[in-house]
Amino acid sequence: MCGIAGVMYKGDGVEADVGKALIAMLDGCQHRGPDSTGFALYHDAEPGELRLRFFVGEKEQAETTIAEIQDKLAEFQAELVKEERIGSTYAIIIRFTGDIQKLAYAMEHAAKLVSIGESLDIIKDLGGAFDVDDVYHVRDFTGSHGIGHVRLATESDVAPEASHPFWATGFADVSIVHNGQITNYYKLRRRLEKRGFEFNTANDSELVAVYLADKLSQGIPLKEALGTSIDDLDGTFSFLVSTKDEIGYAKDRLAAKPMVKFENDDLIAIASEEVSLNRLFPGHALNTSEPSPGTFDTWQRST
Amino acid sequence: MATIDLAKLSVREANELIRKAGAAGEDVDVLNPDAKHHIGVGLVHDVNVHVRGSAGYFCAGLTDTARFEVDNNVGWGLADNMLGGTAIVHGNAGAIAGVANRGADIIVHGNVGSRAGQVMKAGNLICVGNASFMAGYIMYGGRIIILGESGEQVGQDMTGGDIIVGGRINSMGKDAALTDLDQADKDEILELLERYKISFNGTLQRIANDGKQLRYSRNEPRVRNIPFFEATGEAGYWNEKVLEDIHIKSQIGRYRIRGYGTTRPLPHFGDIAFRKDLSNIETDPKVLEKINLKTKIGDRMGGKPLELSMPVMIAPMSYGALSKSAKLALATASRLSGISENTGEGGMMDEQRAEADLLIYQCLSGRLGWSIHDMQRADALEIYISQGAKPGLGGQLMANKVTEQIAKIRGIPAGIDLRSPSRHPDVLGADDLVIKIEEFREATGYRIPVSVKLGAGRVRDDIKIACKDGFDYVSLDGLQGSTGAAGNEVLEFVGIPTLAAITEAVDALVEIGHPGELPIVLMGGIKTGVDAAKALALGASAVAVGTSALIAGGCISCLQCHVGKCVVGIATQDPEHEKRYNISAEAQNIHHYLESLRWQLAAITEGLGYDDVHKISRDDLVALTPEAAQITGLPYVPEYRERDRDLLSEAS
Repeated sequence: MCGIAGVMYKGDGVEADVGKALIAMLDGCQHRGPDSTGFALYHDAEPGELRLRFFVGEKEQAETTIAEIQDKLAEFQAELVKEERIGSTYAIIIRFTGDIQKLAYAMEHAAKLVSIGESLDIIKDLGGAFDVDDVYHVRDFTGSHGIGHVRLATESDVAPEASHPFWATGFADVSIVHNGQITNYYKLRRRLEKRGFEFNTANDSELVAVYLADKLSQGIPLKEALGTSIDDLDGTFSFLVSTKDEIGYAKDRLAAKPMVKFENDDLIAIASEEVSLNRLFPGHALNTSEPSPGTFDTWQRST
Repeated sequence: MATIDLAKLSVREANELIRKAGAAGEDVDVLNPDAKHHIGVGLVHDVNVHVRGSAGYFCAGLTDTARFEVDNNVGWGLADNMLGGTAIVHGNAGAIAGVANRGADIIVHGNVGSRAGQVMKAGNLICVGNASFMAGYIMYGGRIIILGESGEQVGQDMTGGDIIVGGRINSMGKDAALTDLDQADKDEILELLERYKISFNGTLQRIANDGKQLRYSRNEPRVRNIPFFEATGEAGYWNEKVLEDIHIKSQIGRYRIRGYGTTRPLPHFGDIAFRKDLSNIETDPKVLEKINLKTKIGDRMGGKPLELSMPVMIAPMSYGALSKSAKLALATASRLSGISENTGEGGMMDEQRAEADLLIYQCLSGRLGWSIHDMQRADALEIYISQGAKPGLGGQLMANKVTEQIAKIRGIPAGIDLRSPSRHPDVLGADDLVIKIEEFREATGYRIPVSVKLGAGRVRDDIKIACKDGFDYVSLDGLQGSTGAAGNEVLEFVGIPTLAAITEAVDALVEIGHPGELPIVLMGGIKTGVDAAKALALGASAVAVGTSALIAGGCISCLQCHVGKCVVGIATQDPEHEKRYNISAEAQNIHHYLESLRWQLAAITEGLGYDDVHKISRDDLVALTPEAAQITGLPYVPEYRERDRDLLSEAS
C-alpha cells in the first residue's frame, strides 16, 4: 500500500536534479505511505565497477557484518574501490568481472544486500522523504532518472529492508516500485524458485522485479516483458520499473491503483497522484494523462 | 468574492474559509490548487467556487447546491456523493468521477477514468471525451452521458438509470443492454448539453439495465420450523436437517439465505472466567453510584468523543433490515440508557436523529442513504469495511423489504434483491482509505470521531492499518455477530470468533508499538454484562449489543429476518406486521435490558475490588477450556470449570 513516483530527464548526458525531484514528488504523496521512503538512483556506470549497498545495522553488529562482507568480497576476488558507512547502510564500489548473479547470492547470504548494479544505488529507510534525505543526502544526486516509493506497511513488517524500491535480487541494475498486491505471488515465486532464483523477502514487489529481470536476461525487451506481466500477474498493481537506460510502467486491467503521467520537452514524470507531479511545477496546471487499464509503456534515456 | 491561495494555506484552513464564505453567500476563487485533495469538501451553500488549476481527489465531494468550476484536471472521486449543484471540469477526471452522485450535474470536458458514476443514484454525469473501464458500474439511477468512447464493460451490474453514449461502445457490461431512446429523451439530453454549451451532432445510444439479475432466479421454499441444521436437528452426520438443506439447494441451485449469525457452538466468553469467585459476594445496593462506568471514545484525533454512561453501544443495524419502529425503539432505549445508537447501512431518519442522543452514522460501499447533511448532524461517522456475520461481503436486503419508502431513503430502485457491493468505490487499499478518512474529516470540520467497522477476518493486519490510517476507534465484530440476511455457510463458517478477534487486535497494537492506543469496541455475541466485563478485561474499550438488544425488544429468534414477514414487526417493512410492534413498550424493555448490563458491569467491578470498570484487566481472567486458553493466551485452569459449570458454552 503506497505511493510511487518516477522521473526521467531528456537530453544527452543530462545531469538533472533527480534526487530533489523525487524527494518533492514523494513528499507530495507521503499521505499514501508514512512508514518508509526509498529511492532507486542511477549513476553513470564506470566499466568494470559495481555498486553494492547493504543494511548492516548499528555498532558492533555493523562491524561484524562489514567484516563478513569483506571476506566474501575477497573470496570472489572483488577489489574494493570505495566504501562509505551511512545511516544503517554500508555502500561500496568494487571492481569485479565475474558472474554477478553468483556474487549477488553469495553476498546476500552474508548480509542484507539492498541493491547491486553498475549504475543502480537503492537508498531506503524508515520515515518520510525528508527524513531519509537528511541521512542519505538524496538531494545531492544528479543524473538522468530514478524512481521512488512511500510505503504504508500492511501485512509485512515496518523495516528498512521491507521498504521499496526493490532490487531484482540477483540481477544488476533492475529496480521496481509497486503499488498494489499480487495475489498469485506464491504460485509465481515457486515457479521462479524452481528455476534457481532466490528471494530476499516475502514481499510481492520483489517478485515483480525478479520476474521482469528474468525476462530481460533472456534478451526480451523491457516493453515486451511488461506486456506479459499484465497477463501473468494477478491482482491489483501499478508499478514502475527502471534499468540503467529505461523506465517503464504497467497497470492492471482493473485499474485499481492510480497512476498519472506528464511529459514535456525536458522530462517524463509518473506518479500515483497528480499532486506529486505538480510539486515539480508549482502553480502550473499540467496537461497530464492517466494510463488506461491493462496498459504498459517504456521510455529510453537519451544517450 | 473571497480569494484563497493554496500556496499559502493548508487545504484544511482553505476549506474552513470556503465554508465560511459559502455561509456568507460569497463566491470563492482558489489559486495555486496544484492538484491538492479535498478542495471544497463539505460545502453546502449556493455559491460559485472557481479552482484555477488542477484539483486532486474528492474535489467538490460531499457537497450540496454549490457550483464548482475547475480549469484543469481533477483526481479520483470528483464530486463524490454530491447532492445538488454543479461541478464543471475543463480537463480530465481520474477514476470514479461522479461517484454516488445524488442529484448534481457533473460535467467533464476531457476524459474520465475508470468506474465513472459508480453507485450513482440521481443527477447527470456528462463526459465530453472518452470514458474508461466500467463506466456506470453498479449505478442505481440518474444519467451518464458519454459523448466519446464508452470504454470496456460499460454499465456493469447497473440496476437503474441510463447511460447515453455518443461514440463507440467498446463492450457491454454484465446485465446491461442497448435500449431504445425516444425523441423526447433525445431532446431532453440535447437540451441538457446545450445548457452546458456542449455541442454534439452524432447519434446517441442508450444503455440500461437488462433486468436479468435484479432478483434471485428462484425463491427458496419456506419451511415452517427453523430450517438450519446447525441450529437444530438430531445428532448424526446426515441428519434430517442436512437432508432438508440439500433438498432445498437441489431446487434453487444456490446458497440459502437467512438472518442471524452463526449457530454453531464456538469458544466464547463463557469459556473464560474471573479468577476471583464472585458468586458469594454481597453487592452494595448503591454500587451504581460507587463505580465509574463512564466511557469516552473517539478523541484520538482531537474530535469530540462519544461520552457514554457505560461502556456499551447499540450495534449498527439498518433501517431496511429492521422496521422503522424497531429502529426508533432502539434509539429511545439508547437515550434512556445514555449510550449510542448506530444507523447501520441505509441512511438516517429524522425521528431517529431526534430520539437518539448519540447517533453514529455508518457509511457503506453502496453509499445508500449517505448525505452530507446527515454527516453534519451525526455524532460520529463509521466507515463499514465488513461485519462479523459475513466478512468480505456486502449487505443483502431481499426484495420484500425493498419497499418504495426504503428505496427512497437509500436512493435505489424498489423491489430488487439488493446486494450491496463488497468494496467501497474509493477504498481499494489502505492508501486510498487515508484519503477517504480525510475527506470525512474535512466534511465535518474535524469535529467528530471517524471509526471503522471491521468483521473479524484478518484482524491482525486490519487493526494495524486502522491504527496507522488514523481512525479514532474500531468497531470489531466477531464471527458470532448477526445480520439481517446472508448465505448460511458464510454465517456459519467465515471469520474468526469474537474471543480470537479481540485477542489478535490487542496483540497487533503491541506489535506495532502502539499498545492500547486505538480503542476497540467489541461486538459479536455479547449477551450479558458478564460477557461485557470479560471483553473489557481482554482489552476492549466498550462493547456493542445488537442481537441481544433486539431480543430484549421482542425478537423471537426465528432466523427468518431476510423474508420480510417478521411476525413481531422488527425485521419487516410490511405495515401490517410492523403494526404489531409497540415502540414505547419495547423501548422500555430494551432499556431495562441495557440497565441489567450496567448493573452487572458495576457489580463485577466492585466484586473485583476496583472503583472503575476500565481497571478490569486480563490478569483478572482465566480460561476454562484448552481452546479458550489457546485463543486468548490466558492461563488454562480447569479447576474453575466445576465452579463455573453454568457459564461454559456448549463448545466445551
